[in-house]
Amino acid sequence: MKSAKGVFGCLLVGLLVAMTQAGGPTLVLLDNLAIKETHSIFFKMLQGSGYTLTFKLADDANLVLSKYGEHLYDHLIIFAPTVEEFGGSMSVETITDFIDGGGNVLVAGSSQTGDALRDLASESGFEIDEVGTSVIDHMNYDVSDYGRHTKIVAEPSQLIDAPVIVGDRKVSPLLYQGTGLIADPDNPLVLKLLTASSSAYSYHPDKPVKDYPHAVGKNTLLIAALQARNNARVVFSGSLYFFSDEAFTSPVHKVQGGNKHEVSGNQAVAEAIARWVFKENGVIRVSFVHHHKKGEAEPPVAYTIMDDVVYSINVEQLSGDKWVPFVAEDLQLEFVRIDPFVRQTMKHVANGRYEARFKIPDVYGVYQFKVDYTRIGLTHLYSTTQVSVRPLQHTQYERFIPSAYPYYISAFSMMFGVFLFSIVFLHFKDDTKSKVE
Amino acid sequence: MQPSTTKTQAGAPAQTAGKKVLFPDKKVSAKQVKSSGLTNIAGLNSLIIFTVLLLAWISGFASRLFAVIRFESIIHEFDPWFNYRATAYMVEHGFYNFLNWFDERAWYPLGRIVGGTVYPGLMLTSGSIHYILHSLNIPVHIRDICVFLAPVFSGLTAISTYFLTKELWSSGAGLFAACFIAIVPGYISRSVAGSYDNEGIAIFALQITYYLWVKSVKTGSILWATLTALSYFYMVSAWGGYVFIINLIPLHVFALLVMNRFSVRLFTAYTVFYILGLLFSMQIPFVGFQPIRTSEHMAAGGVFCLMFLIGGLKYLRTFMTKAEMKYFGGIVIGITLVFLTVLIGLTYAGFVAPWSGRFYSLWDTGYAKIHIPIIASVSEHQPTTWFSFFFDLHILVTTFPVGLWYCIKHINDERVFVVLYAISAVYFAGVMVRLMLTLTPVVCMLAGIAFSGLLELYLKEEDREESGTNAVEEESDGEQERSPGRALYDKAGKLRRMKHEKPKGNGDGLGANVRNAVVIFVLMLLMMFTVHCTWVTSNAYSSPSIVLASYSNEGGRAILDDFREAYYWLSQNTHTDARVMSWWDYGYQIAGMANRTTLVDNNTWNNSHIALVGKAMSSNESAAYEIMTSLDVDYVLVIFGGMIGYSGDDINKFLWMVRIAEGEHPQDIRESDYFTERGEFRVDSEASPTLLNSLMYKLSYYRFGEVKMDYRSPTGFDRTRNAEIGNKNFQLTYLEEAYTTEHWLVRVYRLASIFFLNLNALKNFTSRKKKGYIKGRPTVVKGQKPQKRASS
Repeated sequence: MKSAKGVFGCLLVGLLVAMTQAGGPTLVLLDNLAIKETHSIFFKMLQGSGYTLTFKLADDANLVLSKYGEHLYDHLIIFAPTVEEFGGSMSVETITDFIDGGGNVLVAGSSQTGDALRDLASESGFEIDEVGTSVIDHMNYDVSDYGRHTKIVAEPSQLIDAPVIVGDRKVSPLLYQGTGLIADPDNPLVLKLLTASSSAYSYHPDKPVKDYPHAVGKNTLLIAALQARNNARVVFSGSLYFFSDEAFTSPVHKVQGGNKHEVSGNQAVAEAIARWVFKENGVIRVSFVHHHKKGEAEPPVAYTIMDDVVYSINVEQLSGDKWVPFVAEDLQLEFVRIDPFVRQTMKHVANGRYEARFKIPDVYGVYQFKVDYTRIGLTHLYSTTQVSVRPLQHTQYERFIPSAYPYYISAFSMMFGVFLFSIVFLHFKDDTKSKVE
Repeated sequence: MQPSTTKTQAGAPAQTAGKKVLFPDKKVSAKQVKSSGLTNIAGLNSLIIFTVLLLAWISGFASRLFAVIRFESIIHEFDPWFNYRATAYMVEHGFYNFLNWFDERAWYPLGRIVGGTVYPGLMLTSGSIHYILHSLNIPVHIRDICVFLAPVFSGLTAISTYFLTKELWSSGAGLFAACFIAIVPGYISRSVAGSYDNEGIAIFALQITYYLWVKSVKTGSILWATLTALSYFYMVSAWGGYVFIINLIPLHVFALLVMNRFSVRLFTAYTVFYILGLLFSMQIPFVGFQPIRTSEHMAAGGVFCLMFLIGGLKYLRTFMTKAEMKYFGGIVIGITLVFLTVLIGLTYAGFVAPWSGRFYSLWDTGYAKIHIPIIASVSEHQPTTWFSFFFDLHILVTTFPVGLWYCIKHINDERVFVVLYAISAVYFAGVMVRLMLTLTPVVCMLAGIAFSGLLELYLKEEDREESGTNAVEEESDGEQERSPGRALYDKAGKLRRMKHEKPKGNGDGLGANVRNAVVIFVLMLLMMFTVHCTWVTSNAYSSPSIVLASYSNEGGRAILDDFREAYYWLSQNTHTDARVMSWWDYGYQIAGMANRTTLVDNNTWNNSHIALVGKAMSSNESAAYEIMTSLDVDYVLVIFGGMIGYSGDDINKFLWMVRIAEGEHPQDIRESDYFTERGEFRVDSEASPTLLNSLMYKLSYYRFGEVKMDYRSPTGFDRTRNAEIGNKNFQLTYLEEAYTTEHWLVRVYRLASIFFLNLNALKNFTSRKKKGYIKGRPTVVKGQKPQKRASS
């Protein structure tokens, strides 16, 4: 019963993961069907990886995301920047419900991003700059840019330092054309996947800069992501162009002092991001939790204070369709009763099995073995196992303690004295004693 | 019955000498019986005593059954639920497992060592009754034993009270006292059927200990003193009130020493009792080393030392001159001073615990209110009102000073004891309503003495004037017919009357009419006392409080069983490890009936944990959510009486939650925030915003704003506080309503898991500063895309 909670926790994570395994039905919403052709490399890549793509126009009157309380799709791609209102039963609210239900969403905007996406962005913790604005960078733009300096070149070093999301950072520079995002500073779940360079800003390219731009320098986000508490993933790109065939295939040459690269790094990064957002990468789970007293095999009904305890946990990572051992050096265990009493880094024993050995503190109560592992790009690993730690039983106290010996001596000498006294009292006649009793 | 009454009159001389010579009471009467030649008188005497005590037992038992008859055989209130749960655990798992029971369902996540924090006497008593009955193949459910334990023990209390009073005064006074204690409301309040609490058996233990103590002081025998210690041991195992004994007996001894009544009998009785009692009491795990380490127990030790000093001096005096003895006087004072200094030193050094807060509040009634709000918050810890003295004791409260006066007038060793008992108990009863319970037995005893003295005085002439006797006889017989309970007092009166050889001379000048009038008046008083007792028992003390009854205008009765409905829902619909947060009053009930983990319960040992729950209840929703997640709360349970006008609900207790929370977290919670500007506590639209947004308010009144009770009142009209609530249409962000009982008395809410917290619900938290993006929006027809329109 005690371990039930832990198993329950594991199941929970497992359930989420199972629901969102690689591949699966995906709804793609488009502004117009031309996008299907202009972004064909990206879509083909997805189809090649096992996704079933359903292309729909964003204002299709028959749009349905879920039926009878069940989601029809695992993933949602919105490549419809200018949509003002979704057709059918879709709305920003149904999309957020979809995210709450564990669905993953990839959204691309542009400088003409419509209301619907703005609402969705703000629900997810981002903010899209005004209509008509673009990210402008007078220092880092591509040679093919024709004067507005909006087709900017982002160095791979501007990507987030998380290979699990964006893949290897040793790729060619990236081409980007679109609007800028800013993240809600209070939202700890937002990830800044690709930031603009320090010389970039976001404004109307054709107007003189009168107001302070909405986003300036590194605050300007080009691609941002959110991993919700339920591990649903949302990626927002300010640029639909980023995923286009054109961007994938065109050469990159930064105007000032850049080398010419035959092909941009967009494809590699877009693919990595897509795999991440659709939970092919960075999905880990707890497969097995076990704890027992040192020298025993089964968990006891309740631990006693000062017991030596062994806790082990198996962590697995999704790789393709299979779960493989997950190896890391920084997995920590906490032994918590409101506050952690013990916190230690677990040792990796073998095959994704981690182990911690420690002595239970001299405080009784109801504790939890808690593994709370949050790393950028990985799903949230959370496992709690509730155990009771009871005080010593009345038979478990030390029986003969040295400091009690004087008392033992006094007790026995008293008994002996009484014995002697009785003999004296009985066998030596004394008149005066008889009164006292 | 009647014939026996008349016959005992003849036996009157048998006991008459008893009062003159205080100790050798028995011997004299035995001799008298022999000399008078009526050999069956002693037998009749004991038959009457036996009958009266049996009737007292039966009527005491019967009058405690109102709750069972009106409702059902059910455990009452709060604490009894824990006692019942613990007893059931012990019966199921055995004594040693009970002793080592670590209850992980209480005080989550701290847990509670039940074996070490409980007085096990109650559980042991009913457990052994259960064991005996089952070994006799009488299958009684442990619940029924628990329900009927207190009424059965009330009979034993009556018997021990009889013996104690008999030792102090006379057999007749004893019968009076036994009859009084059997039905007096002050004792019934804690011992109705179903009120399965320590006090139910502790009063019996208290009385029997005092009886044995008086007996051992009288005889000075080691046997009686040992029995006293054993009975004291039972008392220690049953109730924390044993501290009263271990302070009262030394006080008695000390008073006797001061009165220069030192004797070897006293020396033997006290030393034997103290040593054995000390050793015995330390065997109870919950008491442990307290008898030698806390200030509450120090007086007994001091008196013990004093006893030896004085004993030693008395011994030295036998062979020393006066001049030499003076020298010793200085030594005695020196030794006393040294002892006191050592004691004070030990207290400061921390070896001896200073007085506990509960103890201070006995001396300074304002102490708890300032320093320990949790003690002050309990209604039974409030100072007693005059009304409740009368309510609980009725006529006895006015007559017991008479008995006290008799005792002081005819003082002897054991009467010093009852005087001290009465004075201290009166004081403590005045400080705390709850301690009315310790006052009740002594009031019954002294009132018994008073009544028997009174009847002695006014019936004594009968022996000389037969006609007067018969008149009274007829009167009292009439009484007997009218109410059977009266028979007890009648006979008691007659027993007393027999002892009236001694004051024969003073009785002159009272005519038969005066006597009759007084006797009738007294009997009327007693009858009114009985009526009052029955009425109080039936109306005030026989509600199980987990099942409520309401009466309609037509007299129809409606049962409100919301508590059990909610607890049953919890037990059937929640995960077995689910943690339920509620105010501590309901902790035992949730554990006992729903079998779910609670955060705080009626064993209020950890103030800071309770304060944390109080803080959660008095904070706003998001702050409360943080506290609740840190405590792993799954469900929140509140009691709401606004729908049916139940006044004991959580909103009425709310200020105590605030106060207790403020005591621990003064920077977050301030009591003044919950009052209006004019310093009122109200729930309507004028209430302070802090109150309107507190978790407790929201949980109590969630969706209540939609409810319209009748045509005249507005929606959301709270019938308990007679106000229209001030915050009607609000939504809960972090909690959802899980269950509300039929009459809305209990409301259960489920805490949303952090992992599935709805993003929509959290809208307020995402940044929504859409700076001017509407300004530049291109005109778009809804549901259409610009490109498409252009193409078409």
